[in-house]
Amino acid sequence: MPPSLVNLTIDGRKVAVRKGTTILEAARQVGSHVPHYCYHPGLSSPAMCRLCLVEVEGASKPMPSCVTTVQEGQVVRVNSEEAVGHREGVLEFYLVNHPLDCPICDMSGECDLQDYVHYGGRERGRSQEPKRVFGRDDFGGDVLFYGDRCVMCTRCVRFMSEVEGDERLTVVERGDRAVIDTFFEEGLEGTNWHGNIVDICPVGALLSKDFLHKARAWDLEHSPSVCTSCSQGCNVELHVRDNLVQRIKPRENLAVNGWWMCDHGRHNYEWMNRGGRLQEPYARVRSSSTGNGSSANGSSGNGSSPNGAGRSSWSATLSRVRDALIAARGGAGTLAVASPFLSNEDLAALVRLVDALGGGRVVYRSRRAPDENVLKGFPQLARRRDLAPNTTGLGLMGAKRVGDDDGAGGLDRVAGHDGVVIVVGDALHDQMDDFAASASAFIYAGSHAPPSARSAHALLPVTTFAEQEGSFTNLDGRVQRFSPALIPPGSARPPWFVLGALAASMDGGEMARSTAEAFAALSASSPAFAGLDFEALLEGGAMAKTEPARGEGR
Amino acid sequence: MTKAPFANPGWAGNTGDFELTESEIRGSDFVGERPKSGGHASGAGAMPFMFRRREPDSEIFRGEYLERIEKVVSRYPDKRAALLAALSIVQEIRGHVGHADMREVAELLDLPTAHVRGVATFYTMYNKRPVGLNLVQVCTNISCSLMGADEVFRGFLDHIGVQPGETSDDGEFTVVEAECLAACGFATCVQINSRYYENVSAEDIPDIVAHLRSGGGE
Ligand code: SF4
Ligand code: SF4
Ligand code: FES
Ligand code: FES
Repeated sequence: MPPSLVNLTIDGRKVAVRKGTTILEAARQVGSHVPHYCYHPGLSSPAMCRLCLVEVEGASKPMPSCVTTVQEGQVVRVNSEEAVGHREGVLEFYLVNHPLDCPICDMSGECDLQDYVHYGGRERGRSQEPKRVFGRDDFGGDVLFYGDRCVMCTRCVRFMSEVEGDERLTVVERGDRAVIDTFFEEGLEGTNWHGNIVDICPVGALLSKDFLHKARAWDLEHSPSVCTSCSQGCNVELHVRDNLVQRIKPRENLAVNGWWMCDHGRHNYEWMNRGGRLQEPYARVRSSSTGNGSSANGSSGNGSSPNGAGRSSWSATLSRVRDALIAARGGAGTLAVASPFLSNEDLAALVRLVDALGGGRVVYRSRRAPDENVLKGFPQLARRRDLAPNTTGLGLMGAKRVGDDDGAGGLDRVAGHDGVVIVVGDALHDQMDDFAASASAFIYAGSHAPPSARSAHALLPVTTFAEQEGSFTNLDGRVQRFSPALIPPGSARPPWFVLGALAASMDGGEMARSTAEAFAALSASSPAFAGLDFEALLEGGAMAKTEPARGEGR
Repeated sequence: MTKAPFANPGWAGNTGDFELTESEIRGSDFVGERPKSGGHASGAGAMPFMFRRREPDSEIFRGEYLERIEKVVSRYPDKRAALLAALSIVQEIRGHVGHADMREVAELLDLPTAHVRGVATFYTMYNKRPVGLNLVQVCTNISCSLMGADEVFRGFLDHIGVQPGETSDDGEFTVVEAECLAACGFATCVQINSRYYENVSAEDIPDIVAHLRSGGGE
């Protein structure tokens, strides 16, 4: 049975919406934005702010559109003179006490009040009275409260009680003395999702201590991405300035994370900014094609490029690496260590390279938390036990997990292997300096050169997920795309590009020249990814074909 | 005329419709007694928890107080609804509702502490900090203001020698302004503890204060 529809007219446009839709949501469907503060699609509507008043024909007074449901034949005017006038009046009341400290407010540039006043505010305030002053409060956790800026929409209070399920915030006092607070000194410490109240506060009343005065909103570049802190795969945006990630904000995806993300993921970004990067490719393997001497780059193993080989260094290095791999192939076989932070495309290239070398084993290590941290009011979202973004993708492509829950151990066989060893992305943090010293060829591709890669025959600088395009497969098997946010250092290239080039030079096949091509190669070679369209993945992602194993590994 | 089934008529005297006594309606056993003298009926709702007599050292929600709160809780489908009554009992015992008391109420009723604070601070009749044995609340809203409330308020402050909101050194008096006390017909209205003093003018103040000092503020 089709859902019952209600026909109405909004700003002269006829529209049919589902019964029970509010006028505000219906207006959004025809493209009319109704200003609002207290309404948030993920929360209940208390009609606190009265900023969403619209004119409804026949109604004796303006209606708050966020709580008024549509009626058959209703005629709504969002932008009539009367409706706009009502909202201007409400706005004027907001400004009676609002401090208008936009020049120093962190929310400036993305503040709803600023926008509304800009579009529909009076030129000059008429209020003669002094403004009320509350000052600031440290709410604990990552949150600072600037009481004077609060517009009493109670979104934060409702988030904590309805979504987080921990009613820490409340409205204290009433009338013009009303202020948001916790139970005296209790604060938000110990809650795991409170960063979201900073996002949903429509003004600069709740601010992140971490981001305080770090950057102005309009200076930040926003890149759609996927959180890498657990296998949930929350949709996020990386906000970047000066080629450094400054903060992470959630991006709406109802199937994965709604409008939210956890504090753990939100604040886990410093690693993307870490310096000391491996910048130039470096090989010290003998190359038969160039007849070059032993080491192309001298003996320093830290990844800087003393040889100034410039643009040719990649091709020179790769051809030496290829020759070394060909020379070492066969024998004891190939063992590869992948990282669950590699994209699906990176991994497909690694698998192809291993196959080109005559096949072998791909293992990875990943950290696991002791438990899940479920968002009570939105239980499909949790900080999962599995603390890496792409373990599902790795599993689908046949990689096996080794090691313990700290992401350590499990590499004994690789460490002593005397065939080909390829490590991509794993920092080998717990391994000895003589890791893979007896390998016939040991190729290390990563963002940094760890001490344990000392015996590597080649160090290949690759990008982190934040510097490249690609896709991850989350625990439900949803394949989601991320886009580059940072400019990679030196001549670091995405792993799929580097490994793909090596593989192609060995198996004589096509080499992917874009992420889309790399993904196409993946969907051609792996049945789990068959039929997925890289472009279409941008909107919310798509499910991989294979039902991933849920449960223990989540 | 169809007769509604039982509906609490409040207490406006016996209307003849119900064979109920005042204490049956008010539940005086556990809500507390109506003061023996004075007071306007409209102030009845505020009476039980504004006593001059305090027991700051007694345990809240033990013994008789626990019985009372249990009775109150039993009246509602969910415990949250008993919050106002519980806070009233706290105030009756202590004279004010402090942080630790709010926490105790929250534990008793299984409510988030922040919620209890929100409710306690929303209602101005809960004192959030200690007040004198006599809490003098002068209405300065429109009717009372027209009838000289500002003079009455100033009069109390000067006579007792305190600033607004302050407690006198002997702990006897706290003088505050109140919003409309809903006795506009008898302006200026002053609520002192549980009782409404009506038609108060500045000249009455010495007498009222003397009466209170002699323990007449119950
Ligand atoms: S702090 Fe922000 S979210 Fe909370 S009520 Fe105030 S304006 Fe709304
Ligand atoms: S739940 Fe997982 S994916 Fe989502 S924000 Fe937290 S760590 Fe990131
Ligand atoms: S959005 Fe409708 S009243 Fe706030
Ligand atoms: S104005 Fe004083 S009682 Fe109403």
